[in-house]
Amino acid sequence: MITLPEELLLLAVEDDGRIAYTAGLPGFGLAIIGACLAELSVGGRLDADLSGVRVVSTTPTGIAAQDLVLEALAKGPGRSISDWILELQPRGPELVAATLGILTQRGILAQQDQRFLWVLKARRYPMKDGREQREAKLRIMELLLSEELPSTADTVLLGFAAAAQLLQGFLSSAEIARLEHRIQQVGGLDLFVRGTEEAIRADAEIRARAFMTPLF
Amino acid sequence: MNAMIEELPQLTCVKASGRLDFEASSGFQTQMEAAVAGAATRGAAVVIDCASLEYVSSAGLRVFLVAARAAKAANIGFAVCSLVPAVKEVFEVSGFGRIIDVQADFAAASAKLAG
Repeated sequence: MITLPEELLLLAVEDDGRIAYTAGLPGFGLAIIGACLAELSVGGRLDADLSGVRVVSTTPTGIAAQDLVLEALAKGPGRSISDWILELQPRGPELVAATLGILTQRGILAQQDQRFLWVLKARRYPMKDGREQREAKLRIMELLLSEELPSTADTVLLGFAAAAQLLQGFLSSAEIARLEHRIQQVGGLDLFVRGTEEAIRADAEIRARAFMTPLF
Repeated sequence: MNAMIEELPQLTCVKASGRLDFEASSGFQTQMEAAVAGAATRGAAVVIDCASLEYVSSAGLRVFLVAARAAKAANIGFAVCSLVPAVKEVFEVSGFGRIIDVQADFAAASAKLAG
């Protein structure tokens, strides 16, 4: 069984094993954190409303990334979904590394270290057979091209993929523009996705303010 | 959380009351599955009357989506009505209002679905 953060990470892997540039954008790390929260919620560890996240059970899941998030939430004060995501932002790389570790342990991804210009280290994650990534893409495409109501799993997958700009990895800009209405209609019908979108907006605003404010 | 199922001639009305949170969501989902299955066998539409539903969390929201999907799969009408402001806000923020038929009150839902 593949988890939501794992599916998102797979969507960021290109055919040759390189990580898509969109994974370097701040939204990707925030979406991975949001996806961990959503997965914990589906797994009966968290519940949330518009004002905050509530820990329902502190029983570990056995999945490193999720347990790291669960532990932080169990120890921390009450915060909204978006505030928790921003709070956990510095731990985003740790969560990504833990999730990549699971995917490589399970043989879904391999890990290849290479040298670029003999000096710079470059790591690739070629897929074993790409089945899991294909399935995630197919679920998204079926949802986008049908008129059906989404399942709870598919709406969050689409919502997080859109928030993290991962749709660009397999859809052209023209296709995304054509499907925008459907993406808005059926993607992210979930408070954790909405909280993630809010965190991404807040993060962008902070960066914009910092960029536009003179240092001296 | 309490849910009372009432079978009307062309409608099955589920009157939800109390707090629909993680703890209540599993039981409510079981009741909704039964309500939709029962409505499908007699070709009736399903209305969830939320007039007395005070609170809905993320776990509770999922039940509405599961129920709406089941109703669509069974080719029967589905709507929710009489959302109190707190629940209405959750529906609006989550985007549920874009895919689920939300009616102002039971009379409006009944008129639309039972025609």
